Amino acid sequence: MEPPNLYPVKLYVYDLSKGLARRLSPIMLGKQLEGIWHTSIVVHKDEFFFGSGGISSCSPGGTLLGPPDTVVDVGNTEVTEEIFLEYLSSLGESLFRGEAYNLFEHNCNTFSNEVAQFLTGRKIPSYITDLPSEVLSTPFGQALRPFLDSIQIQPPGGNSVGRPNGQS
Amino acid sequence: MPQIISRTPRMPQSRCPAGVPADGNSSPSVIRVIVKTPGHLNSFPVAGDTSVRQFKENLSAHFQCQMDQLVLVSMGCLLKDHDILSHRGIKDGQTIHVVIKSKYGSRSLAHSFQNLSMNNPCHQDRSTKGNSSRVCQSAGMGQTKEESSLLMGSDAPNVGTQSPEVDSPEHTAQMLENLCVQRMLSNIDFMRQLISEHPDMQELLQQNPEISHLIDNSEILCHTLELARHLAVIQEIMQINQPAQNLEHLLNPQPYLGLETIPNGNNALGQTYDFNDQMLNGMHDLLGGNSFTTLLAGQVVEQVQTPSPFPLPSEEQLVCPPARDIYANSCGLSSITPTNPTLSIAHDASRENPASVTTEGQSHVCAIQQPAGIPTLLSTVVTQELQEDDKGTAIPVGSSDQGLERDLQQSGEQTSSQLTGGMVQLLRNYPYMAAQMLLLMNMPQQNEQWRQQTPTSLQSSQLSELLLALANPKTSQAILQIEHGLQLLATEFPILLPCIEPYLLGLGWFPPSSCSYPDAVPWTLNVSDMTEPECGPQSGTVLQKSQPQSGDPSYFLQSPEVHFHKQMEHLQALGFVNDDANLQALIATDGDTNAAVHKLKRSQES
Repeated sequence: MEPPNLYPVKLYVYDLSKGLARRLSPIMLGKQLEGIWHTSIVVHKDEFFFGSGGISSCSPGGTLLGPPDTVVDVGNTEVTEEIFLEYLSSLGESLFRGEAYNLFEHNCNTFSNEVAQFLTGRKIPSYITDLPSEVLSTPFGQALRPFLDSIQIQPPGGNSVGRPNGQS
Repeated sequence: MPQIISRTPRMPQSRCPAGVPADGNSSPSVIRVIVKTPGHLNSFPVAGDTSVRQFKENLSAHFQCQMDQLVLVSMGCLLKDHDILSHRGIKDGQTIHVVIKSKYGSRSLAHSFQNLSMNNPCHQDRSTKGNSSRVCQSAGMGQTKEESSLLMGSDAPNVGTQSPEVDSPEHTAQMLENLCVQRMLSNIDFMRQLISEHPDMQELLQQNPEISHLIDNSEILCHTLELARHLAVIQEIMQINQPAQNLEHLLNPQPYLGLETIPNGNNALGQTYDFNDQMLNGMHDLLGGNSFTTLLAGQVVEQVQTPSPFPLPSEEQLVCPPARDIYANSCGLSSITPTNPTLSIAHDASRENPASVTTEGQSHVCAIQQPAGIPTLLSTVVTQELQEDDKGTAIPVGSSDQGLERDLQQSGEQTSSQLTGGMVQLLRNYPYMAAQMLLLMNMPQQNEQWRQQTPTSLQSSQLSELLLALANPKTSQAILQIEHGLQLLATEFPILLPCIEPYLLGLGWFPPSSCSYPDAVPWTLNVSDMTEPECGPQSGTVLQKSQPQSGDPSYFLQSPEVHFHKQMEHLQALGFVNDDANLQALIATDGDTNAAVHKLKRSQES
């Protein structure tokens, strides 16, 4: 039996603050944050991420954020592109609709984590998923919470991933 | 590992060894496997030596689908039918992901790397087809029913394969030439229904009632439909990536625009193009965000010249309806006038709303300024959920175009100002926060460090004590009083200005002569654009004097003494001579004289 095809899965990590968080976080929050992380999963030569517009895809590094600040190797997957797209479509209809976006609880990193586990069984690094709780554990973060809660992030440059209309 | 959320009824496991207890945990060969589908999590007890195929049978019964629709994935491996679960390393408590394939065939991302054309076309195309198929279904018109099936028929194989052809303009042309589409387009009633009942159109109408006459005017509709049929004309419109001269050429020969018939002339121009664009959007796929912005930005050549298509499609991807977005965008940057009347700083009015509304203004700033390629914090389209009080704030486009232009020119200098600008907006609504930041920023030693842009070496304990001290409202009060005093000095005795300059600097005001702190200037610039209706005639702070170009009264922290001037006089007339107490009472009661009187009486008696 021939070995199954393995496709590499990468995690692209972007710092939305472009270094400002590293400099300003000690004074503003009282603790050191290395960045405000936005992540996306790159597999089958496409980049997938979740934002306020739902699940989007583009060519790797193709959002306005430009090339990623860090690339994390998540592993390999046997899941084919076809199955993966089906999976994403059903995710996009259930858990990851655009309106479900919440900066703290259900953001791009939640999505990346979910997808990474589906594809490889592994989670993404914890410093990324722990970011919201890090921020919220500071008085400044707590004070800003109502404001931050209503922020929605959608890096431009992607296309929606979803089933075409009329299909089940 | 994910927690078990629900427990399914035990599947009839005829293949399990006899005598397996119901809950399956005690027997070594039966494991509990967590089955995860998008949106659902179930726990399945299953024998360890079950084959994948048998497991699939169970699952297909549970999920009510065909077996061949199921795809099982575990640890990144696809589970094949002949595999045995335990051999694949599936242990107790492990998660198996299940994907249920749709009944139709495979599909691929249309924009994948083979495709050279713009990303947008496929998105638009899909929505185009979506729209038309939805329309077909909802049309309910006898003659179009069979046409709709034709359309769906021709759509399905295309959608099924989603080959790169889909995105080409030829396909659009083909679609247009399709007989049933032509018939649809020519049926006026149907088109009117289509247009008026489209949700986007309805939202557009809600915000801009003046364009409703456009929809009613069948002549305009006709012309627009004619336009829609001719791909060449559309492509010409597409190429409005050229500077505005082209736009004007295009404007003139089109009689149906009839500016004189449309109220508000130039303003409606932007609106009609919005409207037309909406229609064209629904029909064609080549319409990138470029024409959107160019049509509206009009004279803003800088915008047009930046070639990147990326930021503009984002406006379509935004949650809010495009027209509202564009209005907010063109209204520009920090001068979002209609939202301001709902703001009231420092008076504890609904805090959430003003914060989100102002940052909406700021966020759209950021969306527009992307083409200049400025790195920003959270500005890659930081959009806000729009509040209901946004509705109905129709903003004339024309008047703010110049503002947009000017602001865009300034934008080149304000690299980190997006961050500070957004912060400033926020801080205006959280005055205690503002005081904290103010004090933090203005301690001399920290000031130096800040300016040198190296991280300060504050210890965290020190910082928290600091913040606690600053959170005391009396602190901000005291600062306000200092500010007021200095302001008085500056206005009454300008000769003393050089003497008190160091104190002014300390408090964060920067006289126009020494604008040597570029990162602080944007603070004042951005803030100065916020207008406050009741503060117009009052004498400005020193800030106002030092920023003559802003034109608007600018208030970083408005002194309550100034604000409650009248009420103070009242209280004095009533016999409350203690100014400080009066001020406190007025602040506490938010300017309500009667309540303040009661408060003062109570405190006097106590």
